[in-house]
Amino acid sequence: MIKITRFIRKNLLLYCGFVMLMVLLVAALFGEYLPFVDAELKQEDYRRIDGAIFAPPFEPSSEYWFGTDRKGRDMLSLIVMGARETLLIVLLVTIIRYAVAIPLSFLAHKRVLGMDTLIKSLNAFFSYVPTIVIVVMLAILPPVLLTDARPFWMIVIIALVEAGRVAHTMKGDFDVLAGKEYMLSGLAIGAGPFKMLKSYYLPFLYERMIVYIISDLGKVMFLLGQLGFIGIFISQALVQVDPAQFEIENISYSWPMLLANAFMDIRGPIWIAFWPAFAMTFTIFTFNMLAQGLQQVPKKKDAFM
Amino acid sequence: MVWKVTRNTVIFFLVMVVFILILLLPKEMEIHSLGGLKFEADYPFTMALYKENINEFLTYFKEEKGFGTTPGGVPFTEELVRFLLRSLKIVIPAFLLSTTIGTALGIWLFYIRNKRRGRIFSFLSWMLASIPDFFLFITVQYIFILAMIHGFPSFNLYNNEDWYSFIIPCVSLTIYPLFHMVKMTAVSMENEVGEEYVRTAFAKGMNRRQVLAHIFWNAWATIVNQSHMVMLYILSSLPIIEKLSNYNGAGYQLLESIFAYESVRAVLFFIPFLLLMYLVVMVSQFARGRVMPKDVDGI
Repeated sequence: MIKITRFIRKNLLLYCGFVMLMVLLVAALFGEYLPFVDAELKQEDYRRIDGAIFAPPFEPSSEYWFGTDRKGRDMLSLIVMGARETLLIVLLVTIIRYAVAIPLSFLAHKRVLGMDTLIKSLNAFFSYVPTIVIVVMLAILPPVLLTDARPFWMIVIIALVEAGRVAHTMKGDFDVLAGKEYMLSGLAIGAGPFKMLKSYYLPFLYERMIVYIISDLGKVMFLLGQLGFIGIFISQALVQVDPAQFEIENISYSWPMLLANAFMDIRGPIWIAFWPAFAMTFTIFTFNMLAQGLQQVPKKKDAFM
Repeated sequence: MVWKVTRNTVIFFLVMVVFILILLLPKEMEIHSLGGLKFEADYPFTMALYKENINEFLTYFKEEKGFGTTPGGVPFTEELVRFLLRSLKIVIPAFLLSTTIGTALGIWLFYIRNKRRGRIFSFLSWMLASIPDFFLFITVQYIFILAMIHGFPSFNLYNNEDWYSFIIPCVSLTIYPLFHMVKMTAVSMENEVGEEYVRTAFAKGMNRRQVLAHIFWNAWATIVNQSHMVMLYILSSLPIIEKLSNYNGAGYQLLESIFAYESVRAVLFFIPFLLLMYLVVMVSQFARGRVMPKDVDGI
């Protein structure tokens, strides 16, 4: 028991991050069973106060802690119900990104198939051009905008756009490791490239990779938030509103989607934009805290000042 | 030096070309009638269309001998200058503030890092570097709105005409890069504390402050490199903050022209941002080589 409290006190950041992660997971997995969440998302169409009729959105009050949206749905319930989808998207993007970047970085390190040139140029390109601009340009391409598989393509686009940066960082780590003495022993016993990767490179990179992955989860959440504000979503459908007039309609309540009208909302019922942004900030915070907490655990070295 | 300039210039043009190529991917919509009031939207996506787009783009420049004019008759370039000046009022202060103050605070944080207030400051700066700018912006708006309801003198929150309009967007854009800078400065200086020269400097009787200067110049190359990230970050967030604050600057216009499939205008609005990045990269590489001779290639 004392050991546990001491560990917590020493790794406060990690512990806080862990608790916040639990909150997120509970919301994502069991959100609909929580007592204060209205899983059906009932709409309160109007409200009568002293004979006068008021239309939604309603301000935050004791009835609706976070207020309601323009349809009169409880914001808190919306956010909890949207947690699963949002976190799933974030997770998928990150997993795909690393599934591509890890092999890519190893190939680049070995200079196979011109991968090092590819990674270098990708990295150079994205150190000049903001990622979000490229994601927007690709997201509005009709084949991406139109198909039923849009969520899939959007996730792949967001994952791959930054895969170059990730691969570049990891290639650096591979390069550093390759210079270590013990690599020679692997070569001496005749290990092939796959065996080298599995037993000589990766075991020394796991720790770092976990930190990278966790902080990338935060970055992905940030990018999704930004995209939400400018009206690019993961899942949306094109519907015909008038003869030959097509409009994009939202078909889910993931957090970025709740920001769809943020531009209008912040001029009036600002809580509609505030709480989803808060939920995203909470998520970013959680992942940054975990990453920072993990990084601090193995930190011991000489210091002369 | 000449080599660096040529290399960066080549990269500049390559990035420009790739950007234009992505921009020109075919997006034409074809609507087929299915009889009655039913229609179907179809988007053909072929190489031929792509080639046609590129040709159209090139002939446009040949015919207009420049970027051409808006439907209203104003030259695009004139329009750009108007929006750009507005955006630069946010971008330049944000960049200068976050690099200078960020570095200064970083040095201070490194200096007091083992004290109690150092730890508190470290935690605070880490926290502020985790808050997305859009959340910061909305929170500030919310606070002002609540304050105005409770008697705070009211002023125009969403505008670009008043002299103070640029302040809130600028502050929301500055916070994150500034504290990123603080963090990176402190970390890169901390990486130096194990080096032998630090011990030597102390052995020669220097005090903490003098050694601090030593460490700073040794970490300088890493610190200067971060200015690139700071600029990239500011430019990434600029369109979103400009949209939210109704500031209507060049960043927002760039996004709008991409959304509206106006390729020429998008390219025109993209150039200044690329130029800004180019400038920052050049200046930071120059500053690195100047002050930190051991970093120069070949020595």
